[in-house]
Amino acid sequence: MQAEPSQISDNDLLHAVARGDESALADCYDRYRLILFGLILRILNDRQEAEDVLQEVFLQVWRRAGDFDEARGRAFTWLATIARSRALDRLRAAGSRARLAEEAAREPTDEVGDAALDALNSEKSAIVRNALAQLTDEQRKVLLLAYFEGLTQTEIAERLGDPLGTVKTRMRSGLIKLREIIGAARDLV
Amino acid sequence: MEHQDYQQLLVPHSLDALELSEARELEAHLETCAECRAEFVALRDDAALLTYSAEPAEPRPEVRARILESVRAERTGDRAGAVMTDKVVTMRPRANWNVWTMGLRVAAGLAFIALLIGLIVIWRREVKLQQDVAQLNHQLNTQQHELVRNRDVLARQREALALLNSPDAKRLQLAGSQTAQNARGSFVYDQKTGKAVFVADGLPATPPDKAYELWFIPKGHSPMPGRIFTVDSSGHALLPEQMPADAMGNAVIAITLEPKRGSAVPTGAIYLSSPKS
Repeated sequence: MQAEPSQISDNDLLHAVARGDESALADCYDRYRLILFGLILRILNDRQEAEDVLQEVFLQVWRRAGDFDEARGRAFTWLATIARSRALDRLRAAGSRARLAEEAAREPTDEVGDAALDALNSEKSAIVRNALAQLTDEQRKVLLLAYFEGLTQTEIAERLGDPLGTVKTRMRSGLIKLREIIGAARDLV
Repeated sequence: MEHQDYQQLLVPHSLDALELSEARELEAHLETCAECRAEFVALRDDAALLTYSAEPAEPRPEVRARILESVRAERTGDRAGAVMTDKVVTMRPRANWNVWTMGLRVAAGLAFIALLIGLIVIWRREVKLQQDVAQLNHQLNTQQHELVRNRDVLARQREALALLNSPDAKRLQLAGSQTAQNARGSFVYDQKTGKAVFVADGLPATPPDKAYELWFIPKGHSPMPGRIFTVDSSGHALLPEQMPADAMGNAVIAITLEPKRGSAVPTGAIYLSSPKS
């Protein structure tokens, strides 16, 4: 009926899900559960909540796969955006402020570098981590605070005690530099 | 804001790091600017790569099962089975749900016990009420019997009075025999109709297996049986009687003690008798 799941492109997988193919959703889950659960867990720092959110994410994928438009970004970006939004919504929900403060106390750069990654994602992770490692600490910190804690530039400036203009510059230069470093390996990611 | 200004906003917007007002303004611009839109799509893809800097983690296998279960339930339109809100089937809420379920079960159990106790109380009241009603019924029956008896006695007394007042009434005095020396009686009868009344006093109490029997003994004839009766605790009796036509005139009236159901011929001792005419 269809080719080996790992052979199907992410785009085709989402189109199949949009047609109501349950097995395509299962394949999508099998393909991205580790990295998306890692993302959610990184944001929430609570396995129970992270599993709840992961479940919400894939139900949303099931219901909204028809909204995916490859002209507006990669399938992975679409999936990661849903997962990140859901997790950040949960984080902002009542009772999560304490954890936010706890997260703030942690040094974001601690998360970069030395993990044993699963085979599927290890190469991509290695590229991204390598690229992040080449940024300045300040650039990296600003990007990670925005991405994993959902902070605006203004909030980051307040958190770090840096001028807003500086934060804007670091964010912009950081992401552009990341793109340049990853650019050569774009096909991989 | 100029095109270049919007370009400055593309990176922070790809990380959702703009303030709401700026983000709205940029979104409006993206609707009309293909160049910025293309750049934004590329930046968004780049930003999403930050996901890979997070440690991959394995969720429990139940998560996959739950997702597929919900999807299947949704497909079959089993809205009750699937949680249709975005909040889906969650794990901690499930724990809360269990607590609620347990609470509801305990409440239901308590309610059931309370209901049972209530039913027992009501049942016991019902039994008590039935007993009370039965007792009242018994009392009512007893009183009704007494009333009937009293009416009967009253009727006899009226009859006796009417007979005494009748111009055709004839009275026979009965005297106690050797067996019942203190006893005495009166037999009054209407000589036209034969309607009669008998009154006795001072008769000994009736033994349980015995009864007094009244006899009409016409001259030269065998005794004819009349009524069977008992006396009250004071040895008194009052009973209506009908004088047989054959006994009218000169019959002797006698009372004997007989077996309870009476006899066809006198077998016991004479207690009272009228004088021979």
